[in-house]
Formats: sequence, C-alpha cells, structure tokens
Amino acid sequence: MAFLNNSGDIILDAVLTDTGRYRMAKGDGSFKIAKFALADDEIDYSLYQNANWTGVGADGAHASGSAYYDLNILKTPILEAFTNNTSLMKHKLISIPRTNILYLPTLKLNALAGARGVKGQGALLQQASGTFYVATDSTTEGTTKLGGTTALGNAKWMEGFSTPGSVIRVDQGLDTTEIPPSISIPGDLKETQYIVEMDNRLGFIRKPAASEAATPSFIDDDNIASYYFTAGSDTDYIGDVPFANSDQVYVAAKDVIAGPRGTSINFSLGASIQLQTSTFLFTQLGGTEVISGVSYYVLDTIVRVTAATLGRSMTIPVRFIKAV
Amino acid sequence: MASTFKTFLNNDVAQTKTLLHEAIPITGTLVSGTYAGTYGSEGHIKNYSHAMFQSVYDYPHASSSANHIFDITFGYSSASQFQNATSSQNTEKMQIYNQMAQVLMGFKTDGNLRAFDEDGNLSGGNKIYDAYFINFSRLLVKDEIKKGSFSMTLLSDNAYEAAAGAIKIEDTNANNEYKVNSPAGEYGILYANALTSGRSFTTPDGLSNPPIGLIFYQAGVVVLPMADTTNYSITPDGPSNQIFTSNAEMNSTPGDEYSELITGSTIQLMADSLRHRIDNITFNNTTELNSSIYFCRANHNDFNYSSNPTYLTGSKIMVKEKLTDQPVSYITSIGLYSADNELLAVAKLSEPLKKTPSTELTLRVRLDY
Repeated sequence: MAFLNNSGDIILDAVLTDTGRYRMAKGDGSFKIAKFALADDEIDYSLYQNANWTGVGADGAHASGSAYYDLNILKTPILEAFTNNTSLMKHKLISIPRTNILYLPTLKLNALAGARGVKGQGALLQQASGTFYVATDSTTEGTTKLGGTTALGNAKWMEGFSTPGSVIRVDQGLDTTEIPPSISIPGDLKETQYIVEMDNRLGFIRKPAASEAATPSFIDDDNIASYYFTAGSDTDYIGDVPFANSDQVYVAAKDVIAGPRGTSINFSLGASIQLQTSTFLFTQLGGTEVISGVSYYVLDTIVRVTAATLGRSMTIPVRFIKAV
Repeated sequence: MASTFKTFLNNDVAQTKTLLHEAIPITGTLVSGTYAGTYGSEGHIKNYSHAMFQSVYDYPHASSSANHIFDITFGYSSASQFQNATSSQNTEKMQIYNQMAQVLMGFKTDGNLRAFDEDGNLSGGNKIYDAYFINFSRLLVKDEIKKGSFSMTLLSDNAYEAAAGAIKIEDTNANNEYKVNSPAGEYGILYANALTSGRSFTTPDGLSNPPIGLIFYQAGVVVLPMADTTNYSITPDGPSNQIFTSNAEMNSTPGDEYSELITGSTIQLMADSLRHRIDNITFNNTTELNSSIYFCRANHNDFNYSSNPTYLTGSKIMVKEKLTDQPVSYITSIGLYSADNELLAVAKLSEPLKKTPSTELTLRVRLDY
C-alpha cells in the first residue's frame, strides 16, 4: 500500500515585519493577527505557456501538452521574506467563488486631457515624463513661477498649497473590446473599497479639487499613511466610471477602460507642512530642475492605489516642486 | 463577493510550547590554552579593575567576534574558617558569597542569609561556606541548563602541569532529584567521580562519588566548594569531598598550594588557578519556544485568481483560454494581517505552490516567540 500524499499540509516559519515588531513592542494589544492573505509577487504569468502565450518564439501552447504549461513558472526561485511591511505581499491572490471568469477588472490611470472627473472636476494633469507635479507653496503657485509659465502646458500642475483645481483619477473595469462598455460589470468584479498610500512626511490626500484633507486610517512605522475609501460612504472620492457621452460607447480620447466599467477613485494631493515651509527634505531626498529658466526643488515620490477587495494596485508617480 | 483576505476562525490558531536543546562543548584549550599571552592575561580573558570576577571569552575579548562564555569568581561566608581580615580580598570574597547566596539561596525566616547547602536539604546537613562560582553566559545557557546534562572534568593532580588526576563532576540523576527550594529556580547536586587512578574519593559515609557542588539550572551558575564540606577544611589526602588536596599546586610558582589559595590569593589568581585545571565542560542548554500556529486554509474556491499585473493581458486572464478553463494561481507568500490590514508577519514558500479550484491547501504558519 502506498504512502498517503501529505503535500497538502505545509509548515512554514513566519518572520515578524517591522510593523509587527513595532506593535508588539507597544504592548497595547495592537499586535493581534486576525486574517491572512496569499500572494504571488515573484510569479510572471506571461511564462504560462498555453495558447495565450506571447513569449519569445511564441507559437502557442506547449507542444507537450497542458501539464507543461507552467513548467517555467514552477521553476521560479522565491526570495526570502523582507521584513519591511510595505515591500511584500504586493500582488495578492483573489478569492472569487465562481470559476467561469475570463476577464478580471484592472486599474488604469485616467490622465487623458479630454476626460472629466467623476465629480465634474477639471482635466487631469500629467507631464510628458509621466509624473504629476504638485506645487508646495504659494510662491511656487504664483504667477512669477509655475502660475506664469506655460512650460508645463496649460495648468499641468496641481496646487499642493492652495485649493487644488484638479484631481488624480483612477478608473476600474474590464479593459477589453470583446465586451461592450454598455454591459454592466458583474457585482463581484466591481470594486467597492480603495486604499491609497503615500509618504506622510511629504503630503496628504485631499478631497477631489477641494482643500479638505482626508483622514488616514493609520500611519505605519515607515511614515506611510494609508487612507481607506469606501463606495457609498466616501461619495466624494468614489463613483461609477462615467461615460464620455450618452451613447455609452468607448471614446478613446476620454476613456481608459474599453469594456464594462466599474468604479473610479478621485483625489487631490496636498503638500505637508514640512514641504511647504522647508527645503530640508528636498535637499536631502530630491534635487533641482529648471523650468523656463526658473530653478525649482523637486522631490519624487509615489502614491499607491490598491483595490481593496480585488487586490489590484498601481503606483502613481508624483513630483513635489518648490521654487528655489 | 471577491476578497483577498480570509479571517482566522477560533480553530485556525493553535499554541504550542517546544523545548529546544543545544549541546554546548567548552574545551579546556578554549578556557586556558588557545590564545597567546601571559597566563592570567591572555587575550580571551578579561580582568577588571574592581577584581571581583574574571570573564572568559571564546576569542580575544577586544574583538567584536568574541562571545562571552562564563565568569569565574570566588567567595566565602563570614562563617567560613578562612575568613580573616588579613586574607587577600577578604571583603570582596565575603561580598561575592553574600551576593550569590542572596540571589541563589535567599534568606531564612529570621532574615539572615541562607548558606549554600551540600545536599539541598536546608534543614540540616553540611553547608558550603566557601566556593568558586562559575556563572555561564546567557548566550550559552539560553533559558536554562538541561538537567542531567552537565559535566565538567577537572585535573586534580598535585603537580601544576600534570595532565592527570582527572575527576568528573556531573549532575547525575538530576532529572529525578533536582531541588526546588531556591528562590532562583531549580538546582541539582553535583557529584564527583574519579576518572584516573591518581585520585579517589573516600568520604566518612563511604561514598565514592560524593556531592561536590551545586548547579542552578535557570540561573546558569555552578557552585564548587573549595574545602571539604564535611570537615570545613582542606585536608592533605582525605577522607575528603574536596576537589583538590591541600598539597595541589595551583600556580606555576612553587609554594602556591591549594591550602594557601583561599586566604593568600586574589580572586583573579584563584580564577586563573581553576581555569588551568579545567579539562572540559559540557552541557545542553534549553530554549523554551512558544509558538502560535496559524492554519491558513485555502478551500477549493479560495485564492484561485491573482492580482499580479502579469496575470492579465488587458483584462483577459492569461492562464485561461476559454471561459470554462479552470483558473490557476501560484502561491509564493503568506501574509498575516491585523484586523486593520497591517502586515504583521510573513512566511515564504520555497517554491511556487499551484492553486486551482480542484485543490485545497492548509498552510501551517508558525510564529515563534
């Protein structure tokens, strides 16, 4: 009689993250493990050699059959655990009870000039470099600086000091031309909660095109602030992705989601007091840039947007800018 | 409803306690002969200006690579016959004894210090009024010394340089006979065995392997009496339960004999003398490992899709060719989260683990404290 296959039961040693140690050291009961998630950060699914395969020398499915489709994936070497809580578990596995799904929603930054914010704000701003510019003080916003130059295009920067006139917008939905956008996205694929993370030393999240700051849910030991926004509750931030017109068709100049639309999250950014009043972080972490003959301090960072229930995430590059 | 987290239920978390043991061999060459230098001031020996004890390292102690192994010191009680105002470091020796007795034996009901007891029976029997104390480093002892594992071989021949007269000091049968009447935890009785024909033990009560010291397991301290605890003196040849005879030369200088050591030598010189006689020390340490085991159960309909950017082309799932194909995902990491979604601990698999709707997995994640 053969041995039982015991490969379904695996023991793994876990390491505490820096946040885990921090909470344990606080001793206030905040170290309490309540749930788990699985992730596949190292996996490159483009190595899956079925008929969809488009790799080098791609000629469709593996000649030896479906048992060989994931041969290269299973050979992937796995890195040891990092202890920085923000450096891993980037790509979580998703639980969806049904298996008859061929398309999953994606997140896309909608920075098209023709697009309008969900709440009717002005056009999104983005530089050719793919970075959002955020002014950090009134001088920088003034007419002798960014406000008076056309070098960045028409108002292609965001006010981080005064009330911003524009928003960063991320759309969610099925980006495929095989399903018309007029078809409603299934309820289990429509995102209802977003997590926005950014370096709390540099800036904060604000209501779209408003000065009101959002309240972070928590700030971790690395000064990363996490903001949670929920559809239905945070209606200023989250709404359904609007159609460019009443025909409910895809308009390339305004839409980034070609198929059925989910929700859209919109927010603006504010500069931290430290960036507003000091050049310390600019000189320590950033550099300088000359725009139309005017020198500016610049500091690059990222804002990370994660769909909380469907797991997908994207990072948005942001450049804080301050007149020298 | 889609989700990326799964909440632990009550039966998904278990607590376990495991005792880990490591064998700790300390060779005599490490203690007394490996590193160059004048005996007593070798690189791995650290002496202090306060002269209360001597530290032994496994490498020259000025190096960051050095590990502290143990400290040696000596003390006697005010009740000891050796206590005398003219004795070398008389005050310090009494101070050491009182400190060790206070910590390891505590106080009697009348408030006086309780002396170390030869057999652990505090109501009577022989007391230990003078002793070497070997304090092992926490690095080696960890949570405690494993009972019944301690062994120390000393060369007790009268000649200073002779590698002879080996006696073995062990906590024989300590697993069944350890004492619990100390405020510093459990302790056992050390017994001596003559390993060579050069020494033999014949005590008044006829024991050939007499009690010759104490070992405190949690404190990591060995107490080795200098004098015969039966007669409270150092005698030439016995009947004796003392480690060395009174004629044993304890220094390369002729005349520095065991009988003169207690009163005439500093603690540092006494430590040097004992180190020179140590042939080897071995014991097993114990680490008490408390673990929480989290049973991460991935049911057939859990975690079959991925949010990995490479999982989709546009929005189409790469691993499915048609609607009816089974979704596939590959697990490489497990994250343990707080209720507010903060990542508190993480475990990694050694290789990708395939997950499909036709498989169920239980990943046991152990978190040690």
